[in-house]
Amino acid sequence: MEYQRVKANLNLHAVLRNLETLVACDDKAAELIKSWEVTLQFSVLRGPALYLEFQNGRCRAGEGVHHAPDVRLFFLSARHLNRMMDGKASPIPLKGFTRLSFLTKEFPKLTDRLEYFLKPDEALLADDAFCEINTRLNLGVAAYAVRELATTDSMGRLNAASMPEGTLSIRVLPNGPSVSIVKENGGYAVGKPNPENPMAVMSFRDMGVANDLMNGKCDAFAALAKGDVSMKGKIPMIEAVNLLMDRIPHYLG
Amino acid sequence: MDTYRYAQSQALFDRAVKVIPCGVPGHMSPAVNIPPSAYPIYAARSEGARFWDVDGNEFIDYMCGYGPMILGYGNPVVDEAAQRQSWEADLTMCASPKMVELAEFLVDMVGSMAWAFFAKNGGDVTNYATMVARSATGRKKMVAIKGGYHGVAPWMQALGHPGVLAEDHAHTLRIPWNDVGAFEQVIAEHPGDVAGFIATPYHVPTFYDSELPEAGYWQKIEALCRKEGIVLILDDIRHGFRLNMQGSHVHYGFTPDLVCYCKALANGYPISALMGTDTMKNEAAKVFYTGSYWYQAMPMAAALACLGELKRLEAPEWLLKQGGNLFGKMETLAAGYGFHLKVTGELSMPNVRLTDDPSGMLHQAWCAECTKRGVFLASHHNWFVSTAHDEEVVARTLEICDEAFQVIKEAAAQGRQAS
Repeated sequence: MEYQRVKANLNLHAVLRNLETLVACDDKAAELIKSWEVTLQFSVLRGPALYLEFQNGRCRAGEGVHHAPDVRLFFLSARHLNRMMDGKASPIPLKGFTRLSFLTKEFPKLTDRLEYFLKPDEALLADDAFCEINTRLNLGVAAYAVRELATTDSMGRLNAASMPEGTLSIRVLPNGPSVSIVKENGGYAVGKPNPENPMAVMSFRDMGVANDLMNGKCDAFAALAKGDVSMKGKIPMIEAVNLLMDRIPHYLG
Repeated sequence: MDTYRYAQSQALFDRAVKVIPCGVPGHMSPAVNIPPSAYPIYAARSEGARFWDVDGNEFIDYMCGYGPMILGYGNPVVDEAAQRQSWEADLTMCASPKMVELAEFLVDMVGSMAWAFFAKNGGDVTNYATMVARSATGRKKMVAIKGGYHGVAPWMQALGHPGVLAEDHAHTLRIPWNDVGAFEQVIAEHPGDVAGFIATPYHVPTFYDSELPEAGYWQKIEALCRKEGIVLILDDIRHGFRLNMQGSHVHYGFTPDLVCYCKALANGYPISALMGTDTMKNEAAKVFYTGSYWYQAMPMAAALACLGELKRLEAPEWLLKQGGNLFGKMETLAAGYGFHLKVTGELSMPNVRLTDDPSGMLHQAWCAECTKRGVFLASHHNWFVSTAHDEEVVARTLEICDEAFQVIKEAAAQGRQAS
């Protein structure tokens, strides 16, 4: 029960919302959606909700219920949503029947593109351009997954409890993507990239190092020792976030 | 001065990561030093309060090998006793007479303890202590302090760490330090099922300031344990013989049922001990617990020599005084640069940190700058003073600390961070 609920939260708030990033950094995805003017609402019965607004060639993800979506996709349970994400079930459309063709033919092209980047093979990762997009997407998944796990996963809540308050900045050097995770008044949020005066900083030497670590291809301790990854500031923040990240494959692996 | 470089250490580490998980696993991992590039990875030799890394860099060591080196590296009295025992008999098919001698020595010295049992590491005896407590009481729950460290068995590690199951923690209840009310609460929540309470003499959480026991804390904990039939276990592994040769419980005025020792017991030779009151002796005898090397006589001979030297030198009193001397001067130095150095815990093994930056980055930079100049300082662990940290060592330490303060001050003035 908890497993399905947590997984649904991750699928919606960490994976599906990543379409926003995909469209921003992948030309083919941007080309796919350039003429889309539609707002899709995803809602799980007594569970999480997310909407995606496609407008003017951009995608914006929002949490909760949109006031006037063009298409409403409903899921009877967290498990139902998770099966849809695995390609084994279909949502129940409650609104937007005239857009069924879009849902069955156009939208899957975008989610397929997301899957293409998030489930790569070795040959694809050897390509620098692919590697960069994969890293950006993984970083986004990780940041939002940390927030979800810290609040909805029982083990994650325990790990997060020991995390001091403040902002953790995660950066890919020298000028790569950055995310931040904020703990404030016991709540967790994904903050803006490269925040000023973070309480802790975890940096990857370059895109290749970040990609190797996120794809489980190297030993994090050894990478730290060699300076490929560096950390400073409030180390318990980084420790807690790393433990939370370790739980992501339990749900999305 | 020129700062150190670590080419040989790095080259060795490159070899190590190919054949050893993490390169250097555990608490000696370079990953715990911030930044790792400021620290050596491999040591080549050691003497007194100093060690030299494989690049030939010399360090005054304020970690003392994470605590064991209480008499300094290569103490001739201890080393000679160990060597002599090694030539006579070390690990054989029978126990050594040295085991009896060492147990007698400890029983005579440590307050209220009537027996001793020997193993290798601290975790061996904290784990044994919990088994004895459970056997003695027929109960399951162990109460420990949040952030307290007692070794690496799954029940001792934080829940959520790789390899640790929720089931491993099913009978471990964590409460805040210095909170007698929280202890009363867990006893009430688990009536008749709390076997033991385990804690260090004072709280030494990694990454945070050390916290001494509040007045009456230990006495209230002891009274509750007596009233409820709970076994009181003192984990004196890190603090032991740094506050009082009779044990840290004598220093703080209470009587545990079981006491665990390790680090300072034999000045670097591998041995740990569980000691207990007379009433716990038969209970300990019931619990089968052993290990391949636990009967090695060499560390026992080393422990006898080490404890003899510590007594002769009145080491705890000296270490507390020398710590006061050193860290008092260090605080004054920091203040001269407008920095605030906070020293917590007892002065023979204090936690020290600069409080001028809430993130701790300034403190990390200062520790790194000291280390690159020859004073090995960990930024997130208590430090240790040994009897080898004499006036010459203190003076050199303060020179280097002064230079490191200058470096971080200049960097701050330029709007950047050193290291």
